Amino acid sequence: MKAGKSLLVFIFLLGVFVFFSGSLEKKRERLLMSNFVEYTIPSKLIVPASLEFKGLSSDFLLFKFMTYIGGKVAQKSNISDEQWTSLVSTLETITDLDPYFWDAYLFSEMFLAWGAGRIKEANQLLLKGTRYLPENYRLFYYLGFNYYYFLKDNKSASRYFMEAAKLPGCSSYVARLAARLSVYSFQHRDGIVFLQDMLKNTKDKSVRDQFEMRILTLEKMEFLEKKIDKYERIYRTYPNSLNDLVVSGLIDKIPEDPYGGKFMIMQNGRVYTTSNMLTKTE
Amino acid sequence: MKRIQALAILTFKEGIRDRALYGITIMAVMMLLATILLTNLFGHELGKVMVDLCLSTIAFAGLLLTFFVNINLMAKDIDKRTVYSVLSKPFSRTEYIMGKYFGLILLVFVSLFLLVVFSTGIIFIIKSADASLYFKDFSWICYFQAFAFQLMMFVLLNAVIIFFSSITSSSFLTLIFSLSVYVTGQSIEEVVSFFKKEALVYNITSPVNQFVVEYLQYVFPNLSAFDIKMFASHGKLISISHTLSLFGYSIVYSALLLFFASLIFNKRELK
Repeated sequence: MKAGKSLLVFIFLLGVFVFFSGSLEKKRERLLMSNFVEYTIPSKLIVPASLEFKGLSSDFLLFKFMTYIGGKVAQKSNISDEQWTSLVSTLETITDLDPYFWDAYLFSEMFLAWGAGRIKEANQLLLKGTRYLPENYRLFYYLGFNYYYFLKDNKSASRYFMEAAKLPGCSSYVARLAARLSVYSFQHRDGIVFLQDMLKNTKDKSVRDQFEMRILTLEKMEFLEKKIDKYERIYRTYPNSLNDLVVSGLIDKIPEDPYGGKFMIMQNGRVYTTSNMLTKTE
Repeated sequence: MKRIQALAILTFKEGIRDRALYGITIMAVMMLLATILLTNLFGHELGKVMVDLCLSTIAFAGLLLTFFVNINLMAKDIDKRTVYSVLSKPFSRTEYIMGKYFGLILLVFVSLFLLVVFSTGIIFIIKSADASLYFKDFSWICYFQAFAFQLMMFVLLNAVIIFFSSITSSSFLTLIFSLSVYVTGQSIEEVVSFFKKEALVYNITSPVNQFVVEYLQYVFPNLSAFDIKMFASHGKLISISHTLSLFGYSIVYSALLLFFASLIFNKRELK
């Protein structure tokens, strides 16, 4: 009798528990979706509050950053301007907690510069990194690249490339790039080499996939530009549209932009894409 | 000397009978095991994350041990009046304080030593599972140096506990006081630098503030100086002279606290 009673109570409590935990999960999901990184505790507070666990706090915040971006990529959903601002301050806090944390600087290049077009903020973080990791050529290389590729400021770019070239581990390619900067405008090949270097030590698969898509797009653009040059050599004029390349038999069909945009020709024979290599927003 | 040694061993033995000690150790071992999983969630600097997690776990276990097991060990003697049976023997009160202190230190050292041995195993496992390029900043010397710094922090923190236990017979008050000292000690450097730089720039301080902060920083132990986990995780070695001066600081500060503790304890009436 007593055992039966206890069993009844247990089953009742279990039922109630399952009901509540199920509804709590749904509520939490909604809550987490709405404000997962939309607040960032300011460094002034979190740094002293972390006591002797500053490294651990920086790991936790970086993990939060990764899962947030990863989640957005997986859902193919857009990150709003406001959310990017929070992500910038998350990276700032991480590097306040542990200014030697390379991942945070790499992410500022990967996501702020390439993902959000926030070149200014990315450069600020990279500059902060050069103060703590002055031997790391990649920080200078990234800075130079941002000036060169995104900001079209070849003078600053060449300065940073020169800095990078002096540091250990830097490929001679960077020095050559710095040397020819004043003569040539940007090449898609430089972007491909840059992204490949950035991916070199990346283990995370979702990040790799994202950047491999970018590399693929750049390779397609490089391919098209080569064909346009060939067209120009044959017909002494640039094609009006990419379709001319198909008509003249230089290519079978216009390749598709993996980002869902369209490749277009500019008047100087350069190729760009309407997607700007940003994931399509919904 | 022999009497201090005997009491230290007695305190240690009493400590290892405490069930809380097993709880803390099991928790720390679980956290270290979790490090294997957690480290692999990261993309690049796995070595840094791994060292952060291992050293933080050890530090956390040491703090729990100090604040919950050691404080109880001190208070129990007076609460349960076992202190009389000790003091009725040919023990001076100073010897009692010293014996207790070395017993607590021994307990912390042995427990944390076991954890650090366990964590080296964990590090071997993690390192063997991934490419060495994710661990290029990892260095065993830095890892053990950070551990040694951590131990020196506990040398000091346990002296703080002894000091407060000599003042009050309530273990709760000792806990509150020593926790406050710990938190203050971890952040005092930050506060001082704030008052020396930013507060002056924004003009939000007064001469009284400046004066208080200037002298208060020498009253509280600078515990953040013992935290070199961040440097260890990036493979940055701290110089020998820096290490020696910090070890000296810890020993002298602890000796001072023990000196005051025995002064107070000698004057105290045990009811």
